[in-house]
Amino acid sequence: MRIVLIGFGNLGRGLSRALVQKAGFLRRDHGLIPRVVAAVDEFGAVVDEKGLNLAGLLKTAEGKGTVALHRGAKRGRLALQVIEGIEADVVYELTPTNIETGEPGLTHIKRAMQAGRHVITSNKGPLVVAFRELDSLAKRCGVEFRYSASVGGAIPAVGLAKKLLAGNKIREIRGVLNGTTNYILTRMSTEGAPFEIVLREAQELGIAEKDPTLDIEGIDTACKITILANSLLGTNAGLKDVKVAGIARVRPEAIRLAQEAGQTIKLVGTAKRGSLEVGPKLVPLGHPLAVGGTLNAVTFELDLAREISITGFGAGPRETSSSLLGDLIDIHRTLGG
Amino acid sequence: MELEDVPGELLKALEPISRFGGNIQSIMHQRERKTPLGRVPVMLIFEIGDRARLNRVLAALRARGVRVTQLGEREGAVRVTALLIGHIIHTDIRDTIDRLNALRGVRVSDLSLAMGEPGQESAARMTITADDERRVNSAISNLQRIASRKKLLMITSIGAG
Ligand SMILES: NC(=O)c1ccc[n+]([C@@H]2O[C@H](COP(=O)([O-])OP(=O)(O)OC[C@H]3O[C@@H](n4cnc5c(N)ncnc54)[C@H](OP(=O)(O)O)[C@@H]3O)[C@@H](O)[C@H]2O)c1
Repeated sequence: MRIVLIGFGNLGRGLSRALVQKAGFLRRDHGLIPRVVAAVDEFGAVVDEKGLNLAGLLKTAEGKGTVALHRGAKRGRLALQVIEGIEADVVYELTPTNIETGEPGLTHIKRAMQAGRHVITSNKGPLVVAFRELDSLAKRCGVEFRYSASVGGAIPAVGLAKKLLAGNKIREIRGVLNGTTNYILTRMSTEGAPFEIVLREAQELGIAEKDPTLDIEGIDTACKITILANSLLGTNAGLKDVKVAGIARVRPEAIRLAQEAGQTIKLVGTAKRGSLEVGPKLVPLGHPLAVGGTLNAVTFELDLAREISITGFGAGPRETSSSLLGDLIDIHRTLGG
Repeated sequence: MELEDVPGELLKALEPISRFGGNIQSIMHQRERKTPLGRVPVMLIFEIGDRARLNRVLAALRARGVRVTQLGEREGAVRVTALLIGHIIHTDIRDTIDRLNALRGVRVSDLSLAMGEPGQESAARMTITADDERRVNSAISNLQRIASRKKLLMITSIGAG
């Protein structure tokens, strides 16, 4: 399979490492021989139709910060040129999220589909802005479209619901989908420390970003709940359809009061037909959503199975490569490989 | 029930309820409506796990000479917990509770406060008990309206409302 990587940051590199490490396993167990024919970032691109030497490319990217400084690289904004000009089976779209325009990912994905490439993305932006459009464009172009990594990092929420739970009607989806806020709430509950202090600690540990607004205000969770609703409940929702409250007002005293009643406070996204919501919620201690630290969790309420929950790491390049690689193998199988 | 108007009578009536695991929710002492025999009508509302325990309470009351004049039962009270964060005292918690208690079949059965540092927001945990699911949901949406008017953040349980 010929693969193009658009975006070679944390996830592009994490995926490349997994491809290097698992080459033997993929060939033996899945009959899959992935060949990365191009890698592109904001500053340039490297192309080799026989397949790039990923180990060498990783060294350059880690040392110099961009693929544009690799031997034989071309400089410039080359994503669209590569997507349309380089023969490939799958395009990975792994550029930064923009929840207002979806760009640059949105255009990358559309052009890739129109060029007949299957698309795998971790980028929430295009999915939040134009889910239906992309979903039907993929069908019209006869290509596969996967986005497991966009929600819950390593957690196979979309695949689990779409494939293994396919016999159920999904009544409701609830998720703890943001590692940063979950870390903050967890530390407030174990240390009794105030929000501002715990936030600073999270920033120092690299868990929270310098500008944590999207996380703290619940907007990142709202993006993920929108994607889950659109992809699993068949809605056509955008961010504006989600009622959002963040965690900035949650105080350690409030968590203590919750604990005295056998509960804790989690930032929970809820999706059901006709209502999308994000906000702090009381969750019984011991409930599958009462996960600690940066963990994520998703619970499906179903007509047959009643309740199914999964828990796992919601971010991290290695963890998330599990979803990115899983999507590749899934496409390979779908195509009869 | 009717109690003798002497000290200690009420305590005598309450003891069996807690002994058998009941949870007393309100006591109305109607002193001004004394019976011709000089007894004081008292209305008690309590919650108890099952019928067998209720029978044990009633037997114990009878054994102590407490006269139960009327017995009303409601099955399956529904309880929810909600947290409020904000300027809870300044926005008159008493009024918030009164508004909920004014709803039919709804009462605020527990309240805990955690005061913030001066100038900071406080937190309250409220348990609302209602006769059935429908009433509890209406209480929750009422509280939601009160909370947004008083600029309080309300936190409910997953799956509630
Ligand atoms: N990190 C995680 O654990 C995780 C988990 C789930 C989902 N996601 C999502 O996955 C996406 C990638 O995450 P990440 O952590 O890998 O981000 P990142 O480290 O910031 O990497 C983004 C990459 O995209 C490149 N890029 C930016 N604009 C571009 C353009 N116009 N054309 C081509 N390349 C461009 C960047 O190049 P330069 O470095 O040259 O600017 C960089 O290589 C994001 O949308 C993120 O929200 C991340």
